[in-house]
Amino acid sequence: MAAVRWFIAIVVLAGICWLFPIFHVVPLKTVTAEKAAETFDATQFADNFWTNQLVPAISKSVKADVLLPAIQADPAAAKKKFSRSVGLSESYFYFLSGTGRVVAVSDDEISLAITSGSTNAEVSLQAGLIFGDAIRDGTGLLNASDYPNSQDFNDISAALDHIVETRVLPALHAQAKIGATVSFAGCAEVDDESTDLKPLKVIPVQAEVR
Amino acid sequence: MKTNWFKLALAVLAAITILLLPQASPAQTASKGKIAVVVSTLNNPWFVVLADTAKARAVELGYDATIFDSQNDTAKEASHFENVIAGGYKAILFNPTDANGSIANVEKAKAAGIPVFCIDREINSTNAATSQMLSDSYSGCVKLGQYFVKTVGKQGEYAELLGIVGDNNTWNRSKGFHSVVDRYPGLKMVAQQSGDFDRAKGLEVMESILQAHPNIKAVFCGNDAMAMGAYQALVTAGKDKQVKVFGFDGADEVVKMIAEGKIAATGMQFPKTMARKSAEFADEYIKGERDFPQKVPVPVELVTPENVAKYGDYGKK
Repeated sequence: MAAVRWFIAIVVLAGICWLFPIFHVVPLKTVTAEKAAETFDATQFADNFWTNQLVPAISKSVKADVLLPAIQADPAAAKKKFSRSVGLSESYFYFLSGTGRVVAVSDDEISLAITSGSTNAEVSLQAGLIFGDAIRDGTGLLNASDYPNSQDFNDISAALDHIVETRVLPALHAQAKIGATVSFAGCAEVDDESTDLKPLKVIPVQAEVR
Repeated sequence: MKTNWFKLALAVLAAITILLLPQASPAQTASKGKIAVVVSTLNNPWFVVLADTAKARAVELGYDATIFDSQNDTAKEASHFENVIAGGYKAILFNPTDANGSIANVEKAKAAGIPVFCIDREINSTNAATSQMLSDSYSGCVKLGQYFVKTVGKQGEYAELLGIVGDNNTWNRSKGFHSVVDRYPGLKMVAQQSGDFDRAKGLEVMESILQAHPNIKAVFCGNDAMAMGAYQALVTAGKDKQVKVFGFDGADEVVKMIAEGKIAATGMQFPKTMARKSAEFADEYIKGERDFPQKVPVPVELVTPENVAKYGDYGKK
């Protein structure tokens, strides 16, 4: 009788454990995959942002032939009207587009004259290694407050800079010869009002050479 | 006569009693309530400046302010929050010890109706604190990285002293620096160790790095306290002329050392600006304002021997 009672008890216990398992055995691969899915993918994000938000926003950027004369005439007024800044920063950004003639070429920059008849470098397209947050912060499309962990937000910056280096600059370097015409769009970061803006240093998000 | 002596004694006694009564100071009389300043550590002059400035601005704005030192310990920080919540404080100006570990404390305060304003260090949540005033460590270290390459060159061995591993600033600084330096394959990081943002630990870690890697050309430190510790180790080893030290914070002592040519550069974080603005946000909240940006980036400026004259007293002169 005792053996039967033990048998029944074990069967009941097994049944309870089957219905309400104390623990789950999950393959390590599944856990790793789930963890990876939770991790913010800055490269993927930057890729989507570039295509779906940044490029379409170029149509709303200030035209270089409007901005440059405005800066010449009154830098403070131009800053107020056309720039944006982040947080308590003294530095500010312009998001601009335009067309210029190549007047100088080096490994690190392609210099453009914007004004008709000018031979001076008025815009310098940055064409070396790209660093910093000009693309991320220059358009106002992305906001730090939307990212609980600022490391994710910073990773976006690095990923966007990488896109500039890999998608925009190779063709620019290959085709931009002195005298060529370049249609461009990009972001310029200005440290403060004492910064020399001749030329305005622009990190290109788009550059088409004709 | 007896009556007169008695009256005189009574008068003197009354006068003494009045003199001995605790007098309310003008500030106390006009106090708008209590504000707590909970700071990760006071074992670092930079954080002392941060906490003192926050307190001073809160007092200027008419509040009683008290500083609570968490000693880089989340358990102590939790205990401070319990006391602050029970103590009827109207707002907390908060420098967290841990980006993840401090979230629960902020949520407790929020549940108790007390707004929390993070200063300098963030928590990994965008719906717990009322606002977070944060140094843009990443961008600051991108600038430091560029200056590092310019002054150290594109070839050579270097070391890195990380801050507290659980703090986002540690990684934002490291990642900003490496986003630049790693692009130069000739620059090889031969050691990367945590010095916990601490001067003594920075010295100790630097001593062991120097023994294993005597040929390094530079050391990048995640804060100025570790940079001072590292410099001390280099002086002891007779390598202070060989190894360039880069810090981050803008501590007054380091700014002076840059002017003296002892340290190569630092990132100025403006603790006074952040602390004052956070106290002002708390005041606005208490007065009824509810619309605050969740994250307010505060820029970091590169301080080098070329521009050091413009900086001092934890900011721009």
